[in-house]
Amino acid sequence: MKLDPSRPGSWAEQPFEVLFALSRSEVEQAQRAALVGRFQSLRSSINALDKLATRQDVRVIDDVEDVVPLLFDHRVYKSYPLSLIEKRDFKRLTSWLGRLTTHDLSKVPLEDLNSVDAWLARLDEHGMIVGHSTGTTGKLSFIPRSRDEWPAWKAAHFEVLRAATGVDPRREKIPTFSTGYRSGHQMMTKMGKLFAEASVGGDANRHMLYDYALSSDLLSLAGRLQAAEENGELDQLEIDPQLLEERKHLIEASRNRDGDLARFLSTLADEFRGQRVRIGGTSSDLLRLALVGREKGIHCEFTRDSVLMAGGGMKGFKEAPANWEEIITDFFGVDRIASMYGMSECMGTAPLCSSGFFHFMPYTIPIVLDEDDTPFPRTGTHTGRMCLFDLLAETYWGGFISGDRVTINFDEDCACGWNGPRITKDIVRFGDLEGGDDKITCAGTAQAYSEFMDYVGTI
Amino acid sequence: MTITEQSAASSTGVVVDIPFLIRGRIIEPGPDGVEHSGRAGARFRTPDPRKYAADLVLRDASDLKDLHDTPIDEIIDFLAELGPLLALDCNPLMRAAFELALQAGELTEPVLRPVYDSVPGLFVRSRLSGQVDKLIGKEYLDGWVELGRPGRSTMRMRAIGTRNLHIIAGNVPLVAAMTVQRSALTKGDCLIKMPSNDPYTAAAIVSSMIDLDPNHPVTKHFAVAYWKGGDTVVEREIIRPSRIEKLTAWGGMSSMTHIQRYLVPGIELIAMNPKFSISIVGHEALEDRTAMDEAAMGVALMAGRMNQTACSSTRVVYVECEVDDDDLDRLEQFGLAIHKAFHDLPPHESTAPKRPDAELENELQALALDDEFYRVIGDAKSAGVVVSRTEDPVEFADRLTNRIVNLVPVPDISRVQYWVSEETQTVGIYPESLRERLRDDLALHGVQRTLPLGTSLRLQSAADPEQTLGLPHDGMEPLRRMVRWVIDQSSAVV
Repeated sequence: MKLDPSRPGSWAEQPFEVLFALSRSEVEQAQRAALVGRFQSLRSSINALDKLATRQDVRVIDDVEDVVPLLFDHRVYKSYPLSLIEKRDFKRLTSWLGRLTTHDLSKVPLEDLNSVDAWLARLDEHGMIVGHSTGTTGKLSFIPRSRDEWPAWKAAHFEVLRAATGVDPRREKIPTFSTGYRSGHQMMTKMGKLFAEASVGGDANRHMLYDYALSSDLLSLAGRLQAAEENGELDQLEIDPQLLEERKHLIEASRNRDGDLARFLSTLADEFRGQRVRIGGTSSDLLRLALVGREKGIHCEFTRDSVLMAGGGMKGFKEAPANWEEIITDFFGVDRIASMYGMSECMGTAPLCSSGFFHFMPYTIPIVLDEDDTPFPRTGTHTGRMCLFDLLAETYWGGFISGDRVTINFDEDCACGWNGPRITKDIVRFGDLEGGDDKITCAGTAQAYSEFMDYVGTI
Repeated sequence: MTITEQSAASSTGVVVDIPFLIRGRIIEPGPDGVEHSGRAGARFRTPDPRKYAADLVLRDASDLKDLHDTPIDEIIDFLAELGPLLALDCNPLMRAAFELALQAGELTEPVLRPVYDSVPGLFVRSRLSGQVDKLIGKEYLDGWVELGRPGRSTMRMRAIGTRNLHIIAGNVPLVAAMTVQRSALTKGDCLIKMPSNDPYTAAAIVSSMIDLDPNHPVTKHFAVAYWKGGDTVVEREIIRPSRIEKLTAWGGMSSMTHIQRYLVPGIELIAMNPKFSISIVGHEALEDRTAMDEAAMGVALMAGRMNQTACSSTRVVYVECEVDDDDLDRLEQFGLAIHKAFHDLPPHESTAPKRPDAELENELQALALDDEFYRVIGDAKSAGVVVSRTEDPVEFADRLTNRIVNLVPVPDISRVQYWVSEETQTVGIYPESLRERLRDDLALHGVQRTLPLGTSLRLQSAADPEQTLGLPHDGMEPLRRMVRWVIDQSSAVV
């Protein structure tokens, strides 16, 4: 097997066993060539990248380190004025997004749109798969992914899932339980639905804690509510009348959140007792479920080869018990918590190995920066800011600088037997270290939304 | 107080000793001292606040009688004697405070030195006298003032000193000096809780007062201490209606969240909320070169003074301008002129920042990748201008610092209510005719001061010192609120 640098997407079609057996020199050579190719082909067609390259005076990329000045900060994906959302100015929002992708979005009809959800759905109809994440401070960032990425993205997802859990839902049907929302354009939610549709049994095989859509419009409002609350201006906030109807439904739904939880737990524990199941969600949501379930005296009993997958740390959970992992495995009756490290901005995620490290696949290039934003050498162990170059991104720029502090090891000596650079589970948001708000996280999203639900439930 | 030799080492990780000053006594941290961490890695040690909490407050209001009976002119004499002793070149304690603020704070030496140099000026006799007379009236502090017609009055009023806790801000060291001055002038008992970003200036001033006369009634009513905000053991001991009557809190929500739980009837909150300032520029500035340069220098001064760290510093500039390409090009020209003006400012007004704000630089860089909505001129390392091309300020407008302004085009300049609130302290306006047109609207919507772009209190005080005495401080009148206004009625003319 040889990695073709002109088609990094084809790498994802290989079984993970093959990819993790490749030698470091093979991988690095192919990565370098693929990166050079991505820059050459994307620069002229992505306006924002061209601007950054011009400003940084980068003409060619010869090596991985050369891409550092061209990594996008998370702000790039939300650099539009917030008023475009408030005024529903989808024409200008689309032209902004157009400067971040090679796709020509100018032909997408926008006249009849009146919500962010409808806008994103319209873009999907025209070949895009735009997902958003959000911080807790009130602005959605939009990642301009498209159908062009889909085949490699899908292949990568299922292979990494198989590496982390031993299960490939494309081939076997396993009832799936997830702590998220049924549908929506928030990246994790959107991925959940898309991948479920590509699994045996389809979306109907998925049991959701919240069996309704996560509204992007109200999610953007959740952030604003929180910001307004911090400024003590909650009473001055004007809620868009167009959203009132939707809000009413959500208030109804929010009154049922306890009911949702009870229904979800009883379906899981009673109806699927003795079966093989797959349970997934953020660590904090799963812990919450386990604590509630334990209190209600619910007892889970599944087959030994059932799978529990968690991620996202304990953000959004105040004073989590130190033994939270034990509480989760005890309650759900599983041997271990499978996991992978990733972020909305990057399609290539890193599965957790049997020795407790997250390993990166060849199509994701990890770069770790020191305090002066200088990349550490690609040998040995280093702690610093995580940056990723996602070679699977074909129609937008895959270079991204994250808010995570990680410890990386580039040497191929992990006891698990997998090659590929690996990071430890000790992942901290720089924003948390500084006591401020920095990185966008899916957990933060859930928190802002849940605070919003609590808020609308009381008015 | 042994801060001089140790303070210089604070940035190198050495622990600095900070004493408590309690009514004329100096209490150094002993073997049971408590260590705290301040800004920029500074560490300092104080006596155990829990041990001294009960002594920090004046438990019996009768103990205020000595100050109550001291004539205000004697208090002014004492403060006027203290003032010159606070000059940097003759006071090692003030020098230590200055050095620490230089290390821990954001201001550069050329900008910070004039701030400390202005401290003695706060204690000049004419200024103290004028301030009291304009805001309270000396006779109300020294005795009962008849309210009725001469010979027929049966009602009197007096301004009575109260027991105050001041939770002060540390971003500008003048706050410590102002607190000392106001407290003495209102015959109050004053406990100052120092901030971790300026743990010295208040101690240095009160310590100098102790050096001058440890037994003066004014000295006897100052206590200065540091404890970690939110230490409930200390705070519950101090903040009780039987011990504290007025609580002055700087810093808005951040200090408010700590103290809210103690606010019960009987404790009046004097909230010195954080303020933001803006400028407003009329279309004239975009119409000819001379006007543009004049307005640009005005904006540079409004934003550049104190390196944009003060509440009076302009962060957003609303410019009367259409949002078509021609007008936006002119707005960008104006931005370039402001950027140039920043660099032309003399160093005592403004310098390049000591530490560029990396987060702010990232914000600017992200905006610069798109031409349609924003134009970015300059950077966070020396000075910068973000030109908005829609009617939106940047979302990080309240974090603009170190000489970076955001120009926002507004076709209709009369929509002031959308830009200002009670949070808006100062509005610089160009040209003068526009200031006259807008000032009432601005005042109705919460603004506390309007002035021509580029001018300052210092300049106007030089023209006529009298007119700058006894100003209301962000519309809040703290002096009048620090005293209790008491009525005395009699059945017959006395």
